[in-house]
Amino acid sequence: MTELSLFSTPPLDGYDKSTGDIRLYSPEALAVVSIALPLGSEDSALAMIASAYGVDLPSPGKSVIATDGARLVRLGLDQAFIIFPHSAPDAEDVVQGKLEDAVYVTDQTDAWTALAIEGSSTRDALERICPIDLHPESFAVDDAARTVMEHLGVLIIRAGDNDFLLLSASSSANSFLHALETSIANAG
Amino acid sequence: MTREFRVNGGLVDRSKTLGFTFNGKAMKGHPGDTLASALIANGQKLVGRSFKYHRPRGVFTAGSEEPNALVELRDGAFTEPNTRATVTELFEGLSARSQNHRGSLEFDILSINDMLHPFLSAGFYYKTFMWPKTFWEKVYEPFIRSAAGLGRLSMQEDPDCYDKGFIHCDVLVIGAGPAGLVAARAAAESGARVVVADEDFLPGGRLNAETMEIDGSPGHAWAATAAAELASMQNVRFMNRTTVYGAYDHGIYGALERSRDHIGDSGGKPRQILWRIYSKRAVLAAGAMERPIAFGNNDRPGIMLAGAVRAYVNRFGAAPGKKVAVFTNNDDGWRTAADLAASGIDVAAVIDVKNSGHAADIPGARHIPNGKVVDTSGRKCLKSITLNTGEKIRVDCLAVSGGWNPNLHLTCHQRGRPQWNDELSAFVPGVELPAGMAVAGAARGKMTLASALADGNDAAVSQLESLGFSISAPDIPKAEDEPVNCTPFWHVGESSSRSWIDLQNDVTVKDVKLANSEGFRSVELLKRYTTLGMATDQGKTSNMAGLAILAEARGSSIPEVGTTIFRPPYTPVALGAFAGRSRGRHFRPYRLAPSHEWAKSNGAGFVTVGGWMRAQWYVQSGENGWRDSVDRETLATRNSVGICDVSTLGKIDIKGGDVGAFLDKVYSNTFSTLPVGKVRYGLMLREDGICYDDGTTARMGENHYVMTTTTANAVLVFRNLEFARQCLWPDMDVHLISITDGWAQFSVAGPNSRNLLKKVIDPDYGVSNESFPFMACGKVTVCGGVPARLFRISFSGELAYEIAVPSRYGNSMMAALMEAGREFDAIPYGTEALGVMRIEKGHVTGNELNGQTTALNIGLGKMAGVKKDYIGNVLSRRPVMVSEDAIRLMGFRPVDRSRELVAGSHFIAMGDPVDMKNDQGWMTSVAWSPHLGHSIGLGFIKRGHERKGEIVRAVSPIHGMEMDVEIVSAHFIDPQGERLRD
Repeated sequence: MTELSLFSTPPLDGYDKSTGDIRLYSPEALAVVSIALPLGSEDSALAMIASAYGVDLPSPGKSVIATDGARLVRLGLDQAFIIFPHSAPDAEDVVQGKLEDAVYVTDQTDAWTALAIEGSSTRDALERICPIDLHPESFAVDDAARTVMEHLGVLIIRAGDNDFLLLSASSSANSFLHALETSIANAG
Repeated sequence: MTREFRVNGGLVDRSKTLGFTFNGKAMKGHPGDTLASALIANGQKLVGRSFKYHRPRGVFTAGSEEPNALVELRDGAFTEPNTRATVTELFEGLSARSQNHRGSLEFDILSINDMLHPFLSAGFYYKTFMWPKTFWEKVYEPFIRSAAGLGRLSMQEDPDCYDKGFIHCDVLVIGAGPAGLVAARAAAESGARVVVADEDFLPGGRLNAETMEIDGSPGHAWAATAAAELASMQNVRFMNRTTVYGAYDHGIYGALERSRDHIGDSGGKPRQILWRIYSKRAVLAAGAMERPIAFGNNDRPGIMLAGAVRAYVNRFGAAPGKKVAVFTNNDDGWRTAADLAASGIDVAAVIDVKNSGHAADIPGARHIPNGKVVDTSGRKCLKSITLNTGEKIRVDCLAVSGGWNPNLHLTCHQRGRPQWNDELSAFVPGVELPAGMAVAGAARGKMTLASALADGNDAAVSQLESLGFSISAPDIPKAEDEPVNCTPFWHVGESSSRSWIDLQNDVTVKDVKLANSEGFRSVELLKRYTTLGMATDQGKTSNMAGLAILAEARGSSIPEVGTTIFRPPYTPVALGAFAGRSRGRHFRPYRLAPSHEWAKSNGAGFVTVGGWMRAQWYVQSGENGWRDSVDRETLATRNSVGICDVSTLGKIDIKGGDVGAFLDKVYSNTFSTLPVGKVRYGLMLREDGICYDDGTTARMGENHYVMTTTTANAVLVFRNLEFARQCLWPDMDVHLISITDGWAQFSVAGPNSRNLLKKVIDPDYGVSNESFPFMACGKVTVCGGVPARLFRISFSGELAYEIAVPSRYGNSMMAALMEAGREFDAIPYGTEALGVMRIEKGHVTGNELNGQTTALNIGLGKMAGVKKDYIGNVLSRRPVMVSEDAIRLMGFRPVDRSRELVAGSHFIAMGDPVDMKNDQGWMTSVAWSPHLGHSIGLGFIKRGHERKGEIVRAVSPIHGMEMDVEIVSAHFIDPQGERLRD
């Protein structure tokens, strides 16, 4: 056996830039795992999630912070994401360990790239590319939506009054970053 | 600076001076000026040449409807043609030039066209340039286009940037005149989210141009206060310099914000922003536009709309003339006379078509009732007017008012038709409005100030109530209802000289009458035949007169004639604004494979495939051209081992209790019987039985499958599967999620592939032929514990594997595989070598699965089972689809091995004529096979399976090429598949 070893180079790794009052950065080691509720066994799956994470899975379009700090995002009737800080390439096992066979689990960590954006004028930048209404009355803290920005599919989550977490496909991370950097520069 | 055309008053800031140039001549103006007002203040009456006859023209209006004063702004690559001087905000250093003249503006050699006018009437192109036919495109049209026309592009890339954005609101108020401001205030006070958009840089609309009072204050002061209050409210977004140019479905409006057009240097920020405004309700308070009267030589510089004349005096302190006459059919014309007189301008006469008394007392001005202007004189500037009595009056400015038209354009953007209002002699908005829109103020025909203010409030209240907002007691500002009596009057019939209707397109009263007499009696045909109402102003000042004169010529009424359809955009939008930021590299997103960085630093060239940038081949020193690289990669792979990043293939993770049964329904072949730990090739059909996509699906666990799709169809297949599971079979426990971007997947192909992988895969996992046979799959770990998936599948025909690791390890995995392969002389290969090897092996790709071919055609007829139910089954068995005569996928090689096959060639039997009737099929893919040392091809030919060894002709008429080819097996190497199983 050789001494070969692999090292991780995810796109946008370590990106962190502040422009005016807006900070755009790539959150460190964020794992994304999708869970699917088996048809006909939704109730037991939801009960298992509630007991494992200490919170109920919210309704579609909403997210919630679990007792261990993970964010549970309901994307559809039968689908949710669990987003949590975790660096090893075994996030699927971590979630499966907690939820056992109550749900179907698929690791999504490497399929996505995440960018966090925060600062008081964040919405001014996002309105250049985000077609959905981000006014707090329409999109409250912890709300989540799948939308399209600059032709790229994006999952947007409101983490705070002026804080958003954006997830888009990892292969097009450069285009995604460009879209956000341009929006920040143009709106500033 | 010439002061003689400045008068006291106005809203310009006289404490500051702005320098600008017009045709290179230095001039001065003030903040608050438009280019047009500054030109007028500098005594510059001649500002451009007309479209067709190159007649001298001056500023005609004071707003966005301007037909004449089109100029080029800025210099070099920043040049912007066809900009209306009347809406161009003056800034320090602005450089403007007149357009559409040969030679100088003053001495335009093409003004000879004006002498030729008897030959240039409506439709003259069609009548004149008929012979010879071939001259139209090459000679006549280029000449006409260069002689007639507007400004010129710089032909350089625009260095400015543009952007776009999305705005959401409860109520969008379009226009910040009196009605709009009252509507916006009512909406804002109710707590609704309000957007106010106004095309001007100074909110207030006509209030800035009038001397009327509201609540005891000057109207413009009231507007400034109201706008400032609105802008300071949290729930209001006040957007000046923003034109709402289109009303689209579901309350969506397009708006153009000229955010930096008024600044010399945009500082790297977008000059213009195209907004998509999502509104729940809209109030259209776009005001009204004045219309002219047509009479002889009514196009001279110095002849302007009456409302514009007083706008220049009242708002800009600029006098369009020193001695002015007013020609009017309505009370509003008298207002101009009164305001000018009050500013100390000599008003020579008020010529009123009505035979009534004074509507106002104008000191020093003659009142000429029953008067008409029949002609004018003055080549580059008005010198005198001639009345129907024959009397001449010397004036340098004539203010003309033919009444006012409501600005209802946006009400028609979804095919709404306006209605004729006899009292106003104008069209008003019809009953069918875009969903959620209400119209208020002058735009709805409420032409007096007090009625417009009340109407703005009423419109807002009804809109807010429909949204459920509570309304406090209305607080409608106090104002007078000014007199607005109007007598319909469109043109002076006594004029023998040309009377212009459309100044921008040089259309005259005679042209309209001629069109009617030649049979172009529909208003839509009139527009196309005469060009009335075309180009940048879209006939804003000319349409009504055109309709009226057509009605008169037809002997019908104006409402019977009807109007043309108003369409977006309301005013011109630069293409740069539509393009926004989508330019250059970022025109569309691009996707990078997980080993992109490794490939880039190891000599790869890239090709774009379905948005992905894929390594096409890797250049090594000493190679001359791509064929050297591709031949080397192909031979090295077949001789030892090659590695290719195949992550771009679609990967779909499918989990659930019913996945096997589900796959049986979406694939033509069976997957429910696939054992765990095995992979199977699958073919998907469309509902019509044509092949849709192919790929392999691996069963990783009892309830877990991983499907691969072609790169190009990854998203479409996923969408189809979602449709199938949600809509066709919602009772199945099936869950899908894309993992395409999640895994870096590498093909490791060639006789040494197993030996290489043994060095990378952790020793807990066996990869011997026995423990991991052909079409096996499973989870493994690599390089000391990194989770990976291994598939023993081959696209090249060699012993081969695909190994996948989380994509974060893509670059490092490629490096590790190369390091492990060093002792086997492993090479990376790109998509070209991949293509050569699949053609050598006879595998199909998009060239063969082109949306026209069936399973039978591609040689997989046996995979399309007839017993089970799956998408495409029924229609794939239509007689024509399974005909014995059907085309079959075969291999082809040139009889003369030194010749190169051409993809797209069609097959013709020896001796048959080359025509469609004898077409037997076509060549889909060709490659140079370094393995065989000659060109090879795949293609479809009728009954090919029965014709091995036959010689046919491959003909490509567009290449002028024909050669004899032999029909052979599609499997050029290892037809028994022994290498795969070795």
